[in-house]
Amino acid sequence: MRNVPPRNLIDVDDVSPSELIGLIDRATAFNQTAPPRDLLAGVPVLNLFFESSTRTATSFTLAEQRVGADVISFAPGASSLGKGETIADTAITLRAIGVRVIVVRHPESGFPKRLSESFDGHVINAGDGTHAHPTQALLDLMTLRDHAGRLEGLKIAIVGDILHSRVARSNLVGMRMLGVDVTLVGPRTLLPDAFAGEGVHIERDLDAVLPHVDAIMMLRIQRERIVSGLLPSLDDYIRRFQLNPARLGRLSKDAVILHPGPYNRGVELTDEVLDDPRSRYVIQVHNGVYVRMAVLEFLINSASVPA
Amino acid sequence: MKTVVRGGRVIDPSLGLDALLDVVIENGFISEIAEHADTAYARVVDATGAIVAPGFIDMHVHLREPGFTHKETIATGAAAAVAGGFTAVACMANTEPALDSATIVADVLRRAEAAGLARVYPIGAVTKARAGIELAPYHLLADAGCVAFSDDGSTVENALVLRNAARYASDLTSIFISHCEDPKLKGDAVMNEGGPSTRLGLPGSPGLAEDIIVARDLLIAEDTGKPWHIAHVSTATSLDLMRWARSRGVRATCEVTPHHLLLLDDRFDTYRADAKVNPPLRAERDREALLAGVRDGTIDVFATDHAPHGLDEKAQLLSEAPVGFSGLEIALGAYAAALPDVPLARMIELHSVNPARILGVPGGSLAVGSVGDVTVFAERPWTVDTRLFHSKGRNTPFDGATFPRRALATIVGGAVVYEHGRVLPRDEALHS
Repeated sequence: MRNVPPRNLIDVDDVSPSELIGLIDRATAFNQTAPPRDLLAGVPVLNLFFESSTRTATSFTLAEQRVGADVISFAPGASSLGKGETIADTAITLRAIGVRVIVVRHPESGFPKRLSESFDGHVINAGDGTHAHPTQALLDLMTLRDHAGRLEGLKIAIVGDILHSRVARSNLVGMRMLGVDVTLVGPRTLLPDAFAGEGVHIERDLDAVLPHVDAIMMLRIQRERIVSGLLPSLDDYIRRFQLNPARLGRLSKDAVILHPGPYNRGVELTDEVLDDPRSRYVIQVHNGVYVRMAVLEFLINSASVPA
Repeated sequence: MKTVVRGGRVIDPSLGLDALLDVVIENGFISEIAEHADTAYARVVDATGAIVAPGFIDMHVHLREPGFTHKETIATGAAAAVAGGFTAVACMANTEPALDSATIVADVLRRAEAAGLARVYPIGAVTKARAGIELAPYHLLADAGCVAFSDDGSTVENALVLRNAARYASDLTSIFISHCEDPKLKGDAVMNEGGPSTRLGLPGSPGLAEDIIVARDLLIAEDTGKPWHIAHVSTATSLDLMRWARSRGVRATCEVTPHHLLLLDDRFDTYRADAKVNPPLRAERDREALLAGVRDGTIDVFATDHAPHGLDEKAQLLSEAPVGFSGLEIALGAYAAALPDVPLARMIELHSVNPARILGVPGGSLAVGSVGDVTVFAERPWTVDTRLFHSKGRNTPFDGATFPRRALATIVGGAVVYEHGRVLPRDEALHS
């Protein structure tokens, strides 16, 4: 009998700093040598995506298949949850069907957390509202460490719409756990002062930040921020925060450029940025599969360890 | 019919009274306050070791009827009131249909009379259907029994409409009550804007959303001369604005809830809606200002904003779950927990004397000839158990909390409608 609740990955801090390093190590090992295809043979995994996703859903599905899980994918849309079935009822039903792991994406912050309270199995958050996207943060951390050989003491700038970014929030959690020094850059409407904290600085002037960082993460800017009055125009934003050839020149030669995707060419970055040798976008996406394999293995094994 | 509350410590700030006395109620009114009153043929309430006060009045409750009787009815809400030590409540207009016509108000009063528990004072809407556009018929509503006007739950967004409302109703003594949250600044917020909302990725409402409407409505009060009451203040700035308005001679009062005095915006890590309420629970700086506001006299009234909902409704996602929770049955204890150092006479002012004066309703005093409404309470620790609520709304973030004070008996017009944990309608109480 298990006397500890099953572990989840709702956000990065559901694991300890040493477990976090362990996950990056494991994902790195998977990248070098593929694990046996029956690593998690027959484990029923449900991909439950309430919000459309191309890269994350594909990446999770591939990761699940590479470790031999039984994969079910379901995009509920207006499913039973929309018809008044409670979150708890859904969780109990899915467990009864036999699902052991739910990979869930939902437009509302907190949905995976609520689901995990009633689900007797593992919940992996594949992105909830503006709250968290822990596997994205993991793959970002893996990509950074690949490049720099370490994480502690690295200086990174995250630029753009921090307020609406679950990627930024999860990276903040993970980077603070591992001693990365974070500078957030953006206009005050998209980066409120409340984000400042221990190891987290706020800067409004991108040009002042660029020469001093080991890495820069550009976030996607959505046009709807103009309609909602948070930005005057893309042109004004571009003037202040776009990563372009002029600003590339201010960035250290040894720095790397990250983007969680999907990017908007000509908005937060230009074509030249994507072609720059310092850009790591393709490697990030590539690493995502291994990180997700490592997370699946970690959670399943955590359940079989006697408490 | 005679009722004697015997042997209690009688505290009545309206009389400057604090002594061991018996309170005698005959035919619905206070007839005598004396040492050793004659108890022959009287219904006796033993108040030994307890405090006897003029009946507590909660001037901000939601009774949900008509329209939402799965959440509460006038009868269950009135039962919750007397079980919490309240002899009277003022019920807000956000029913369906809203309290914007004499017919609906008369129906509410009929149901309250039939329940035979707490007195129920309807608060009429400021605008028809609380839509913020057309004025409600204030004089017809006042004739029907409304004691105040409010679109509570919604802020009247259009200042022109609100100004005209206050001007049209300026010959009536009844106050306007404002729920102050700018709908645009609030947006789709589910909690306070601050460190926790930023960290959790939840939309937050800034204190500014409240402050800006408090300032506006106090200016409209000054402009129109209408006496004005600010509901459930939750920010330090709201209190500064209250002080400023009063210094200019504006006739303005305000109330505070138990939850804003005790709880903070740190209760959302579970992403559950138990603590979702409007205005939202704020940060420590605001909470401290509210506690100080009670002590320095800026805050006039304790009011619960009793807002019952079904458990299934509150179990929804944060964005979907309704705002508010039950307050009537925890209030007396919760206020005591929040303000253990405040003298009882001052607590009774906020619970009884001041709401009676502000609403212009009977009560708030034990003077001979006053209405026979009495609250008997004691310093007796107890633990909140929502399963024991008389309210249909079993939601409160205080479930399981231990409070130092509770109501022992509630007397309405001489009828002992609550005692020994039992609620008894007036007709039965008078003949038992």
